Amino acid sequence: MLAYGFAQRALIGGAIIAVVCSLISFFVVVRRLAFVGMGISHAAFGGVAIGLVSGVDPILTAGGFCALVALGIGWFSRKGRIHEDTVIGILFATAMALGVVLVRMAHAYNLDLMSYLFGSILALKWSDVLIIAVMGIAAAGFIALFFKELLFLSFDEETATASGLPVKLVYYGLLVTMALTVVVSIKLVGIILVSALLVIPGAAGAQLSRNYRGAIIAAVVIGVVSVILGLYLSFWYDVASGATIVLVLFGLFLLSMALSPRRRYIQRLKRRVG
Amino acid sequence: MRECRVREFFGKPAGAPRRVIVLENVWASLDGRTVLEGITFSLNEGTFLGVIGPNGAGKTTLIRVILGLIKPDKGVVRVMGMSPGELRHELHHIGYMPQQVLFDPRFPVSVYDVVMMGRTCCIGTLRFPRNADRDAVMESIEVAGLRGLEKRPIGELSGGQQKRAFLARALCLETRILLLDEPTSGLDIEAQENFMDLLARLKRDLGLSVIFVSHDVKVLARFADEIVCINRTMHLHGRPLEVLGSERLKEAYRCEFDFLAGAGSRDKMGE
Repeated sequence: MLAYGFAQRALIGGAIIAVVCSLISFFVVVRRLAFVGMGISHAAFGGVAIGLVSGVDPILTAGGFCALVALGIGWFSRKGRIHEDTVIGILFATAMALGVVLVRMAHAYNLDLMSYLFGSILALKWSDVLIIAVMGIAAAGFIALFFKELLFLSFDEETATASGLPVKLVYYGLLVTMALTVVVSIKLVGIILVSALLVIPGAAGAQLSRNYRGAIIAAVVIGVVSVILGLYLSFWYDVASGATIVLVLFGLFLLSMALSPRRRYIQRLKRRVG
Repeated sequence: MRECRVREFFGKPAGAPRRVIVLENVWASLDGRTVLEGITFSLNEGTFLGVIGPNGAGKTTLIRVILGLIKPDKGVVRVMGMSPGELRHELHHIGYMPQQVLFDPRFPVSVYDVVMMGRTCCIGTLRFPRNADRDAVMESIEVAGLRGLEKRPIGELSGGQQKRAFLARALCLETRILLLDEPTSGLDIEAQENFMDLLARLKRDLGLSVIFVSHDVKVLARFADEIVCINRTMHLHGRPLEVLGSERLKEAYRCEFDFLAGAGSRDKMGE
């Protein structure tokens, strides 16, 4: 498989996306942003449609659009006294509706649109890999540089604010980073499944360790293994790569639940057998 | 440069006790509703000030005004001689414990990690903890009596131990003032006693100035140097026995008030 250029590009691009999504998924899980991830990724449909209609690269328009939606979610829920999930419910449906109308107007129901909905990692060009790498470094850099602020804010926002941290700035930064990560990850698994990458690795990592260091390392390992294994399986069995990756992720999540030190499932099983 | 303001404040020779917190005719509102009306009091250095008042009296708002999280509509707030705007850069001299830390008990952090969070603003943005930060964290853990528990996940600690961990977090800065918003609510009597003894020792040893919001009048009668009673406006300010024996306390609470019969049991969460 590695002899093929497209497979090399898919593996490299996929691995970078897996690392970044897994890092973010830790915060998505501890800060309960799973629905925010869903909202942003579905809103990307509207952004892609704007690109298809206007002739600009849909990844650029989706990037800008998702960042705006992410900021909108943050702003509305902070200022408007509306719950975050209500704001997301409103914004993501509206963005998707906008997408449907625009696509219809431009008669753009075609293969191109399908590739955004379900991913097209095997069609990755080297220029795409470069974009993914640049975005990946920016997103991972943001998380590394503001890690302690993000951790404090996720644990206890009130005290973080009272101790003078730029809480709002860091929170909006996390939302924008999520939005941009979603957009580059669309290439890998598509708009519909990208939220899985933002939740499952973090959820599985949290099962395996009671400390954030272990949980993050486990999340990244699980994310990368799932993407590589999923790509291999989809290549050999000729099935959709995005969906295969998500199914592998789910399998590893079940495994991490079984191995979780919290549940002691394995110990109990051993005791019963022994 | 930034250090100067606080050092200057505490460095000046003072004939009289320094007034670390001064509020003059402070009015504040929440969502357009006036919560504090004309609050005036000051806190002297090294004093333990108890704040009492019924639910919804504005006690938490008062703490938030002092921290600069709520801008008063009117009046003057000075903390260590600084306005709330200037204080933003000096918040590491104030240890704060909110009424209830609403955290997920499964949050994957240890006691050590939680206390280290308190150092975040000392470490500075884009920087990583240094040895001095690690030492300060271990020292606070030691002082709070949590030695040996530092690697335990915070969610596995008892309620009393968690409160101590949050106190340790409030202490691991260059703390001069402690603002505690009902820190002992939800604790059993023994844990409450332990917490209060620890606090009294810290206040004495470190010369901290403390504002302690509580419903538990019995505890305040024992530990506070002064008590303020607020219910939107200031009702009383004085020594514990003067305040608690006063007829005006009933007025503030709008009910009969028998503190010796255990007002603490009426302790309610949330204002």
